[in-house]
Amino acid sequence: MNRVLSDLALGVRLAVGGSRKSWVRLALQGVGIGMCVAVLLLAASIPTAFGNRDLRGNGRDVVSEGAGPAPLLLEHGSMPFRSHHISGDYVRALTPDAPKPPGVQRLPADGEIFVSPRLAALLASPEGELLRPRFPQKIIGTFAEEGLDGPQDLRFLAGDGKIEPSSGNRVHAFGRTGPGGGLPPILSMLSVVGAVVLLFPVLVFVGVATRLAAAQRDRRLAALRLVGAGAVRVRLIASGEALAGALVGLVIGFGLMFALRPFADDIPIPELAVFPADLTPTLPLTLTVGVAVPVLAVLTSVFAMRRTIIEPLGVVREQKPVRRRLWWRVFPALAGAALLASQFGKVDETSEPAQWPIVAGVVLLMFAIPVLLPWLVERVVHRMRGATPALQLAVRRLQLDAGTAARVVGGVAVVLAGTVTLQMTLAGVEHEVKADEAAEANYRHLAVSMHEAVDVPELTGVLAKAPGVVSVQELTRTYGTLPNNDYVAIAVGSCAALESMAEVPDCSDGKAFIVPSEKSRDDAEAGDVLGIEKSDSPWTVPRLEPSAGSRPGLYLTPAAARGMSLAEATTEVQAELDTALPDAAEHARNAIAFHSWRVYSYYVGQDDSAEIEQVFFAVRRALYAAALLTLLLAGASLLVVGLEQVRERRRPLAVMAASGVPRGTLARSLVWQNAIPLVISTVVSVATGILLGVLVTRVFDGEVAYDWTGIGIVTGISVGMVVLVTALTLPSLRRATGALGLRTE
Amino acid sequence: MSLLVAQDLHKSFGRTRALEGAGLTIRAGEIVAVMGPSGSGKSTLLHCLAGILPPDSGTVTYRDRELTTMSDSARSELRRTEFGFVFQFGQLVPELTCLENVALPLRLSGVKRRDAERAAREWMARLEVDAVADQRPGETSGGQGQRVAVARALVTGPKVVFADEPTGALDSLNGERVMHLLTTAARETGAAVVLVTHEPRVAAYSDREVVVRDGRSRDVEFVR
Amino acid sequence: MSIGHALLGLLEGGPRHGYDLKRAYDERFGHDRPLHYGQVYSTLSRLLKNGFVSEAGVEAGDGPERKRYAITDAGVTDVERWLGTPEKPEPYLQNTLYAKVVLALLSGRSATEVLDAQRSAHLATMRGLTRRKSDGDLADQLICDFALFHLEADLRWLELTAARLDELAEEIAK
Repeated sequence: MNRVLSDLALGVRLAVGGSRKSWVRLALQGVGIGMCVAVLLLAASIPTAFGNRDLRGNGRDVVSEGAGPAPLLLEHGSMPFRSHHISGDYVRALTPDAPKPPGVQRLPADGEIFVSPRLAALLASPEGELLRPRFPQKIIGTFAEEGLDGPQDLRFLAGDGKIEPSSGNRVHAFGRTGPGGGLPPILSMLSVVGAVVLLFPVLVFVGVATRLAAAQRDRRLAALRLVGAGAVRVRLIASGEALAGALVGLVIGFGLMFALRPFADDIPIPELAVFPADLTPTLPLTLTVGVAVPVLAVLTSVFAMRRTIIEPLGVVREQKPVRRRLWWRVFPALAGAALLASQFGKVDETSEPAQWPIVAGVVLLMFAIPVLLPWLVERVVHRMRGATPALQLAVRRLQLDAGTAARVVGGVAVVLAGTVTLQMTLAGVEHEVKADEAAEANYRHLAVSMHEAVDVPELTGVLAKAPGVVSVQELTRTYGTLPNNDYVAIAVGSCAALESMAEVPDCSDGKAFIVPSEKSRDDAEAGDVLGIEKSDSPWTVPRLEPSAGSRPGLYLTPAAARGMSLAEATTEVQAELDTALPDAAEHARNAIAFHSWRVYSYYVGQDDSAEIEQVFFAVRRALYAAALLTLLLAGASLLVVGLEQVRERRRPLAVMAASGVPRGTLARSLVWQNAIPLVISTVVSVATGILLGVLVTRVFDGEVAYDWTGIGIVTGISVGMVVLVTALTLPSLRRATGALGLRTE
Repeated sequence: MSLLVAQDLHKSFGRTRALEGAGLTIRAGEIVAVMGPSGSGKSTLLHCLAGILPPDSGTVTYRDRELTTMSDSARSELRRTEFGFVFQFGQLVPELTCLENVALPLRLSGVKRRDAERAAREWMARLEVDAVADQRPGETSGGQGQRVAVARALVTGPKVVFADEPTGALDSLNGERVMHLLTTAARETGAAVVLVTHEPRVAAYSDREVVVRDGRSRDVEFVR
Repeated sequence: MSIGHALLGLLEGGPRHGYDLKRAYDERFGHDRPLHYGQVYSTLSRLLKNGFVSEAGVEAGDGPERKRYAITDAGVTDVERWLGTPEKPEPYLQNTLYAKVVLALLSGRSATEVLDAQRSAHLATMRGLTRRKSDGDLADQLICDFALFHLEADLRWLELTAARLDELAEEIAK
């Protein structure tokens, strides 16, 4: 045991070394592993972040049962504003000790309002000018964190003295315990895949960072082996070195994580933004990271030592290495693709997906890259002979030591593949969302539903006079139950009113239309007997004419709806908007704002594409940033490898320059030496990324879309990286090839 | 006829004065030993003569061309085409096979791969190292490596071969062999050899010697 | 070198005439200095007297001496003893060159010139030997190398002394 510890300590001392170079290596390792640790810790914080969000949501839930008369009346009053969703409640306290929801100091009295910080900011901004008429109340404060889901919540709590007790608005207390709904299966699946795609490269990168500047260490350890250290001891010493890097990495990682945390509430997607305090990694996951990273570092470093252990002399004398075998390296790729293919189309919105084949498939495919790459680089350079002296020098160098280069770019490759996969998935989703958006873009009607206390004729009158409103129609809406118990939406109104909802060609009283629902659901057919909402009398479906519209269901003229019991149906007012007037919907909403919670308006024609564009832009930017960061790290390690190689070969380089080999030839050979593995890895990773993207999209039955610009940009960055790295090695090449390089030290 | 003439060379590295008025004349085809104790400036003199280092002052003239005023790339080309080099160690590119090492200078001058390698193979046979043609330098013995280096220095048919302690890392037997093959081949092709060494036995392969002492050189006449 | 032992060693291969012996000796060891006939016969008669060789018969003919000599057991033992005894390493303490350098310094002449002249002479000899070596066979090479290594040693001493002349001058001046 004592020997084990002393060997480990020797390894640590070799890593720390004391020379400037070993410090640089340790620092690079630390930064590399540190970045990975930070990402892992952020991922480990997600359960806390969203758990806390759920908890706060639960804390706001009302308890409607209780002894005695309710002390508080509450009406939900959510409202859309452009593409924002503002949720809030109107309350009226009946007793002085009425319960208050979390996050506010007291209950607002009539005419008072609490708003969330973001809502306050929105109201104060020029954009909020259009929103202000809807909040005439006096702002008496902002919500504290515990009253909000996330930092970007748009939320309010207003006092309204005119609320009268009714069946659904009594509140005895706030706060409910119990499980939240959780994510729908498809979303949780997507996030699992996303996490795997994102985190796996991180793990690979831990390995890569551990092996930074490994060639030199290999030689040192091989020398130790030659002077008689046993295989076990050499492994221990190597583990000690890796451990030093991993520990420095852990420290840097925790530091980075806490440095990044304050920016969590600036995430531009409200659903993803979290309070910095919520971004705390859970204890078990933190422990896992703390243990897994050093273990992984040690394992990769020991595993990579195989050759040094087996043939130390070959490492020291730079002989030709053993050829890599292919068969076991193909296995992960094939198995991964097969697993994913077996799940094609099996996942949709309703079915519970089998998680493990998908996760295992993705992991295996990603794992295939670092496994296949050394073999591939070796095979490719093995076939090359080098048409020019520069190319020949590079190829020969790679033939001698394909491993180092392949390992470094292997990390880049996995990141690239992950990025490409995410880009493709993203492009697919974006494609679908934009298609939906396009379908709705021409919709010109604001639908207003209202509380029963509202006087409908008066409301239509007000609406009709609002700016931007062309006409106002009334619709009666109810639901029918199909024989198979599916629901179907029913709208009854004049031809003009129906026209606001669907295409009703040659409409005349007595006709009935149907907008078919999505393929997976059954539709009403002529002759079906429907049960009508809150009524006992069934109704038989008449002859239907097919129609098209954004909301599926039956559209009936009054004559066609004869016999249907509409006593409990709700009235909906359709206001046709003048789309030429910007924000017509918001002007119409402002006109009826005095009804506050008693009306709810719904406008699908809101042009959200700019907003969506922004969200996707943000996500894409985050992706690029992450990719760029990892590529930078890879670039740094390429630089270390490059500098090390120049230093190592100082003598031959100096002699070559002395014998008249032009420096340009030597520089070009350096370019080739970096470019060949990078080109191979870029091709492999883009191909794998696309394959993975296609497979994943097919599993989720989505549409395959290719984000060529994104792929191009990422590829471009990699190419730029090689040029940059090579440019940075040139000064050292210049130094090495000076006549001083010839001097013996 | 004088091939390479250096006059009044001065060169300092920082505060260390390596050369203080050294001069030398090399005639075509002759083998000149440059001798002197360590640190006397032998290697610096060789580097200046070969145009690897520009001297601080003084002139180096090769066939009426002034080396000190030539551009870096022009000197580079001159070294590649007119000169050959053999150093003490570490001069072969470790990644390339021995054959490719020998062929490299020809390839750099634009000779086709096949022709370059054929010429390289002939020279390797002359230096009795054709057996290691397809091995890497790391897999050969020191003596073989030096002979490969000699083959590389001679393959372009240089007018001057600069050899800086070519046997410094070898035992006597291998050293003798390298010197014998180098001087024989140089005499056969008519190349002049500038041989920097501190070993009298190696210097004995020369036609005459130049002694460098404290940065100054002196031709030592001898009676044949 | 002991000519007697060399002749004894040559006789171990079989009885020979004196003339044969001289030729064999010159071929192997003579190089610069071939043996005189007189030397051969005086040595042989000494060996005969000591009982290391014996006369193995006289051939008829008109040559001056047609005697054949053979080695005796005592002779074989003597050769063995000789081969087994290491040569005494020369201490080289008495050295003309050193004396020349000191005298040059004492008389105010240039000691460097003395050294350089000697150096040139040494190197010239070494060049000659090197040339001969490259033309000769292995025996030539070994013998030349022997000389070359000795001359090299002298040259190293010349170099070292040249580098320490100032020191030496001070020492002498005291």
